[in-house]
Amino acid sequence: MIDIINLTKDYGTTIAVSDLSLRVASGEIYGFIGPNGAGKTTTIRLMGGIIAPTSGSVIIDGFDMAKNPVGAKQIIGFVPDRPFLYEKLTGREFLKFSSDLYSVDSGIFEQKSASLLKQFALWDWANEIIEAYSHGMKQRLIIAAALLHDPKVLIIDEPMVGLDPTGVRMVKDILKQLAANNITIFLSTHTLSIAEDLCHRIGVISKGTLLAQGTLAQLNEAAKTGEAKLEEVFLNLVSHEWEL
Amino acid sequence: MNTIFILLRPRLLSFFNNYRMGKNNKSWIRLFMFGSVGAVFWVGSFIMFYRVLLYFQSVQDFGDILAMKLLSMIIITLFALLIFSSIINSLSHYYLSRDLPLLHSLPVEAKTIFMSRFLLSAFDSSWMVVAFSLPVFLSYGLIYKAGILFYLIAFIATIVMCLIATAISSLVVMVGAIALPAGKIRTLFVIMGVGLAILLIVALRMIRPEQLVNPDSFASVVTYLNSLQSPNSSFLPTTWITDIIILAMNGNMKSSLFNLALSTSCAFTLIFLNESLARVAYFYGFSQAQTTPKRLFAPVNFQGWDWEHLLNFLSRQAKAFAVKEIRTFFRDSTQWPQLFLIGALIVVYLYNFSVLPLDRSPMKTVYLQNVFSFLNMGLAAFVLSAIAARFVYPAVSMEGEAFWIIQAAPVSIKTFLWIKFFLYYVPLIILTEILIVASNLLLGVTPFMMILSVTTIFFLVPAVVAMAIGLGAIYPDFKSENPALSVTSFGGLLFMLCCFGLIIIVVILEAAPVYYIFMSMMRSQSLSVLQITWTIISFALVLFLCSVATLYPIRMGERSLKVK
Repeated sequence: MIDIINLTKDYGTTIAVSDLSLRVASGEIYGFIGPNGAGKTTTIRLMGGIIAPTSGSVIIDGFDMAKNPVGAKQIIGFVPDRPFLYEKLTGREFLKFSSDLYSVDSGIFEQKSASLLKQFALWDWANEIIEAYSHGMKQRLIIAAALLHDPKVLIIDEPMVGLDPTGVRMVKDILKQLAANNITIFLSTHTLSIAEDLCHRIGVISKGTLLAQGTLAQLNEAAKTGEAKLEEVFLNLVSHEWEL
Repeated sequence: MNTIFILLRPRLLSFFNNYRMGKNNKSWIRLFMFGSVGAVFWVGSFIMFYRVLLYFQSVQDFGDILAMKLLSMIIITLFALLIFSSIINSLSHYYLSRDLPLLHSLPVEAKTIFMSRFLLSAFDSSWMVVAFSLPVFLSYGLIYKAGILFYLIAFIATIVMCLIATAISSLVVMVGAIALPAGKIRTLFVIMGVGLAILLIVALRMIRPEQLVNPDSFASVVTYLNSLQSPNSSFLPTTWITDIIILAMNGNMKSSLFNLALSTSCAFTLIFLNESLARVAYFYGFSQAQTTPKRLFAPVNFQGWDWEHLLNFLSRQAKAFAVKEIRTFFRDSTQWPQLFLIGALIVVYLYNFSVLPLDRSPMKTVYLQNVFSFLNMGLAAFVLSAIAARFVYPAVSMEGEAFWIIQAAPVSIKTFLWIKFFLYYVPLIILTEILIVASNLLLGVTPFMMILSVTTIFFLVPAVVAMAIGLGAIYPDFKSENPALSVTSFGGLLFMLCCFGLIIIVVILEAAPVYYIFMSMMRSQSLSVLQITWTIISFALVLFLCSVATLYPIRMGERSLKVK
C-alpha cells in the first residue's frame, strides 16, 4: 500500500532523509521511531505531499505522490504533529470543510460526522469555535477529520501528543480497529510503549537513515538484545549509530 | 528599570539576528529596498511641503496664516493617527501577543511587563509618524529660516506628542479590558472601528474641500480661512504641540521651551497614571483576556439562508474554501475596524463628488467633468490597490500554520490560488464598479467616459487581485501573529509598487487616445488614421498588460508555494 523508494530530502544545510526505502502492506500498522531530529517528521511530510523530495519517490496505492499528488492525497488521511486548524471555524464546520475538499458524499457527511464527533468525545463541542478547544480536543478533531473520507492510508505524526489517558486509549482502540478493517497506518512516535503495543512492524530511523525495521523479535535480532523491550532495542540501535 | 530592558531584549535581538544570520543577501536587499522607498517618500514629502510653503510665502499678508493653519491641521491629523495606531498596538501588545503567557510565568511584576509593552507600543505606533514628520519640520525650518534649536525642539515635541497619544490610548485599552466581560476584549476593535469611521466622516466633512473650488462662497479672505476648520482648544495636546513649534520657529525660545516643559510634564503624568493603573488592574485585564474568546454575536440560523446554501452554485471545493474564508474573515474582529473605515471612506468619496460645485467653477463644465472622470478612474484603481493590499495580499498568509491542510488536501495549489482569486475578485469588482459608476453619475460624464471607466476598471481589477494573490503566495508568512500586517513586508511593498506602476502605465497609455476621442466628439470631427492607430495600439497594450498581470503572478505564486 505504501512504497517509499530511495527517498532523500536535502535542506541544503542538512540531509533530513537519506536514501530511505520501505514498504508497508495493506492493513498493517507501521511505527516509525527515532531520536529528535532523526527525520521522522520530514518523512511523514514527504509522504503526505506537504514537501517535495530532493530525490526518490513515494507511492501510495499505486499513485506516485510527485506525478499524481491529488490522486494520492485523496486516499490518505493525514494528521500532523502540531494541531494547527482554522481557529475561527466550529468543529462541525471544519469537518464540513474537510468533507468538501475530499468530496465526501453530502448524504453520508451528516451521519459520518456525527458518528465521528461522538466517537472522539467532541459532540458537545461541535458548534463551538476551535479557538476554544484544548490541545487534546484539537488533536482528536484532526484525527476525526482525517477519517471522514474513509482513507485507505492513515499517516499520523505523534498521534498521542496532548491526549489525556482516556484519549490515548480511545485513539489506540480506533487505530487497531481501522487496521482490522484493512486500513494501512503509518505512525511516528516517541512513545515506545505505544509503538510496541500498536505496531505490527517498527522502523528505527536516525540521522535520516533507516537503521533497522521489522517486528520486535526481528529488531531484537538486529540489535542483538535477546528478548528485550523496544526501549532497550531502540537505545542500543541508536547509541550504536551515534558511536559510528 | 533594568528588567524592562531585559524584557525588550528579545525584540531587539530578533531584529538584529534577522539581518545578521541571513544565509544570503536577501535580508540586506530587502532592507535596501525599504530604505530606498522610504527615502523617495521622505524626499518627495519634503519637496512637496517646501513648494507649498514657498507658494504660501508669495501670498501677501495671508501666507503665514495659511502656513500655520496647515501646520495645525498636520499635527491634528498625526495625533489622530497616533491615537488609533496605538490603541491597536496597545491592545495587541498588552493582552493578545503570543509571548505574554511566557512573560507572565516569569518572576517579573505585572507592572514591569506592562511598562516594557508600553515602550514597545509607543515605538511601534510612532516611528513612522516621527520619521515622516521630519521633512515637514525641515521645510518649515528652511522657509522660516529657523535656527538649529528649532529642529531639536520640534523633534522633542513630536516624541512628547507620541508619548501623550500612546499614554491616552493605553489608558483607554486598560479601562476597556477591565470593563468588558471576560473573553470579549476583541470588542474593543469593533468599538474603535465604529469610532474611527464616524470621526473620519466628521473630520473630512468639516474640512469641506469642495468649497475651495467655489469662488462664490468666500465673501472675504476671513471666511475662506474660517472654512479651513481645525480645532484649537487650549485643552488639546495638539494645540500645545503646535504652539511649541510655531513659537520655536518664530525664535521665541523661552515660551516654546515653557510649552514644551508643560507638554512633557503632561506626558509623564499620563505615564505615571498608566503605571498606577497597571499596578492594580493590568494583570486582572490580562487574565480576563486569557479566557476562552466568546463570539461577539450569537450565530443566527435562518433555514436556507446560510453561506452553505447561498453559495450552492459553486463547485464543492470552491464552496468549501469560500465558506471557510467568509466565516473566518467575519469572525475575526480585528478585521472590523478596517471594514468600517473602508465603508466610511466610500461614503466620503461619493459624497464629495455629489457636492462638487462644477457649474460654478471658472473652467468649462463638460471639460472639467470628463477630466475629473478620467482622474477618478486612476483614483478608484488606487483605492482598489489599497483595499487589495490590506485584504487580498494577506489572503494566502491568513491560512497560517493551518496551511498544511491545503498541502495535504487533494486540491492542487493552482486550484487553491484561483479559488482565492475569485473569492476576492467578485466583491472587489462589484465594489469598484459601483464606485466608478456612482461617481461618474454624480459627475454627469459623457457616455464615452462612462464606458471607458467601466471597461478599464473591469480589466484592472483582476490584474490587481491576481498580483495580490500571486505576490502573497510568493512571499507568504504563515507564522505571523497578525498576517494582516504582512502588507508592510517586502512582498506587500512590492505589490503596492507593482500596482502603482500598472495603474500609472494604464492611465498614461489611455490619456492620449481619450483626449483625441473626447476632442473629436466635442468638435464633431473624425479621428485621423494616426490617431486611430495610436488608440488601437494603446488599448491593445492595456489589455495585454492587464492579462499578463492577471495570469503571471498566480503562476509564479503556484511555483513558489509548491516548494515551500
